[in-house]
Amino acid sequence: MGNEVMSVLKKDYIYNLMLKGKRQDGRSFDEIRNIDLRTNVIEKAEGSAWIKLGETEILVGVKLQVGSPFPDSAGEGVIITSMELNPIASPDFEAGPPKEKAIEMARVADRGIRESGAIDLSKLCITEGEEVWIVFIDIHVLNNTGNIQDAASLGAIAALLTATVPGEREGRGEDMPMPIRDMPVAVTLADLGGEMMVDPDLGEETVCDSRITIVSNQDGSISGMQKSGDGALTEEQLLKAVSLACEKASELRENYLLNI
Amino acid sequence: MSDKPEKFIDENGLRLDGRRIDEIRPMKMEIGVLSRADGSCYLEWGKNKILAAVYGPRELHPRRLQKADSVLIRYRYNMAAFSVEDRIRPGPSRRSTEISKVSREAFEPVVLTHLYPGAVIDVFAEVLQADAGTRTAAINAASMALADAGIPMKGLVSACAVGKVDGQLVLDLNKAEDNFGDADIPMAITSEGEISLIQMDGDVTQEEFKKAIEMCKEGCRQILEIQKETLKNKFTKLDEVEIPEDEEEDVSALVESTLTSADEGEACEDEEVVEEADAEDDSEDVDDVEDVEDDEEAEDEDDVPEEKADEVVEADPSFEDVEEEEDENPEDDEEETV
Amino acid sequence: MEREIVIPGQLLSENKADSGPGTYVKDGKVYSLLYGVKNAKNKITVIPFSGKYIPSPRDYVIGTVIDVTPSNWIFDIGSPYDGLLHVSEYPRRVDSDKMVSTMDFGSSVLLRIKDVNSSMKVELTMRERGLRSLDVGRVIEVTPTKVPRIIGHGGSMVSLLKKETNCEMFVGQNGRIWINGKDSEMDLLTEAIELIMKHSHTSGLTDRISHFLNNEDDVVSEKDDAVLEKDLAEDEEDEGEIREDTYRKVDALLENDD
Repeated sequence: MGNEVMSVLKKDYIYNLMLKGKRQDGRSFDEIRNIDLRTNVIEKAEGSAWIKLGETEILVGVKLQVGSPFPDSAGEGVIITSMELNPIASPDFEAGPPKEKAIEMARVADRGIRESGAIDLSKLCITEGEEVWIVFIDIHVLNNTGNIQDAASLGAIAALLTATVPGEREGRGEDMPMPIRDMPVAVTLADLGGEMMVDPDLGEETVCDSRITIVSNQDGSISGMQKSGDGALTEEQLLKAVSLACEKASELRENYLLNI
Repeated sequence: MSDKPEKFIDENGLRLDGRRIDEIRPMKMEIGVLSRADGSCYLEWGKNKILAAVYGPRELHPRRLQKADSVLIRYRYNMAAFSVEDRIRPGPSRRSTEISKVSREAFEPVVLTHLYPGAVIDVFAEVLQADAGTRTAAINAASMALADAGIPMKGLVSACAVGKVDGQLVLDLNKAEDNFGDADIPMAITSEGEISLIQMDGDVTQEEFKKAIEMCKEGCRQILEIQKETLKNKFTKLDEVEIPEDEEEDVSALVESTLTSADEGEACEDEEVVEEADAEDDSEDVDDVEDVEDDEEAEDEDDVPEEKADEVVEADPSFEDVEEEEDENPEDDEEETV
Repeated sequence: MEREIVIPGQLLSENKADSGPGTYVKDGKVYSLLYGVKNAKNKITVIPFSGKYIPSPRDYVIGTVIDVTPSNWIFDIGSPYDGLLHVSEYPRRVDSDKMVSTMDFGSSVLLRIKDVNSSMKVELTMRERGLRSLDVGRVIEVTPTKVPRIIGHGGSMVSLLKKETNCEMFVGQNGRIWINGKDSEMDLLTEAIELIMKHSHTSGLTDRISHFLNNEDDVVSEKDDAVLEKDLAEDEEDEGEIREDTYRKVDALLENDD
């Protein structure tokens, strides 16, 4: 458990496919797996999304509570993003508090939403300096077949888009839709022998030298980025990844978010 | 959270959600829903949404947790942060730890633990949405996930709760009945009719308790029917098809035949292949497998030991039939090609 | 012959003498231990739909090196129990400082199980004809309980697969299958094996696969991917109803909620 050794034959197979411009599941390098996205699946949550990216499955729930603002942003709501790599999702995940991998992915998802200004936090202020809405984004990973990061990010913004601020329930005025201003979308590419592959599956994640996640917004601006893995990228690779990620993010936004 | 209703049961004997007092909430389930798990089940019961998965039997680390003569069963009941009205902190709580323990113990009587010494079977039950009765819902789902994983079990486990509202016993509590009722008695029952989980809080008379068991049994019987149907319907078409008979063959010998020809195809290995006259051991390994059915087969004591051993080996899905056939001709598998 | 889907705890026979693999006896009656297919030939047996490989002496397996000690290679053999290959079970002498250079982490190896003791310590050997390290080709994983279907009646399926694809092939009893040949041939063989897994509970499987391989052969030589895909799609349609029922997504259920 947890330290699965991939056979050399399998690694060679993935690598040799790459040399021929192919991938295990027949996708092209710039092709994302099939996505199935359903929103408002958990009535008890203020917003929710169940996303399938290939066979990777993630459930994101958004809950709101009344709480205190941070002293340095007294007039703004608060976002708290957590991710659990539940042992239900993979034989490689173990129960226990989130480890660095889960924390990294949760923080990347969090930054994408926070830095893009996707949520108008000033509208989540109830009484300046005293009461604000705290937005909990909980990412529950159910099945991992690779690229949890992109599924989590897409699920998070989808869940936010369907969320309602429960003013009535909490005795803080009327219900209102979550004040969303932008739709940040993360796209991850894996560097496999110098080739950049979008939406890596489990085998590619294992074989690749490094991964780069780029979060981009509706206007094409970039609001988050993270390189992960023990390899290094050339400047050319990085720039190519950015342009491809923005293009793919725009497609995802068009296909899955704008109609929510 | 809603306030306590004035009455839980109306003049027609119906509950707030329209059910009779002995009626369970609608339940549906599906198995094989997660690709990474060895077995899985998604269950909806009322507004409960549960995902259960089984991994294993698999290797257990650290070694000190290993049980020398049986498999360790671990059960993790976990609530998603967003599964209830007020968000809960992710991770284990005292409540979830206790539920995990008693739920694990609900399965220990039915799983054949002696077949996988030193290994672990992990059962994960994720409560994605909670609506009263999550521990019993999780057990119903976990039972299905175990079957889906091909774990040998003496039977399925079914679970539900009986409670008391307005001085009356009711089956399968809903949220309001759970929150404001006078008693809550969750039970898990094996398909042999034994009670493998019982908890209780509240206040009932002994008479009421007896009646509660009967109601619970009836509820579990209905749930068992849904479980059976779900399993049988997964391969509806299978009933019509014939399974060819090659399942019964000597797999080892046939595998060997593929080995030999692969060898030939490969020309000569540079390594020296030692052809040894193996000291073939007819006794094989079966005799050191313990008879797991001991306690239940008192009357079978007169069985010849060899047969008993066989039975246990047979109980293991993966042993196939190789053993028997090999015992008959242990020497000639080199020639045992087609 | 009577065959049906059975579930754990289901009563199979009133006569305890009928008890075969996958069943247990209680109070003189025979019950199923497993979720699988009942097979009533001489005795009643239950073949499970899924389950882990449990090592047994003399089984052939394909392992992956996951650890190397001065005198042992430790193998993942797709089972709850790792296998131990002592240096003396390697076909020739290996010095303790040459262990890793002989077989490194991640190497796939054709092995035979020498012994399994009561605490499931699994000893492996390579000192038999044909056992060797696999340096080329691919390893495919299938459900171990379905290995007999890959082999086929009297080895008929393996013979067919090898002949029609020109691949070398070895089926490990732990559900790992090693294949080697030209890339296009291995692709074809992989598809054929996937097809066998999908239709593993149906009859006439060998004919079906033969048909598939022959059609495919033409298709592959024409390098016409479109036809190939169409062919596959038709095959899937065959099973349309089962697939619908079986693989309906979790979220489809969610949608119907309320």
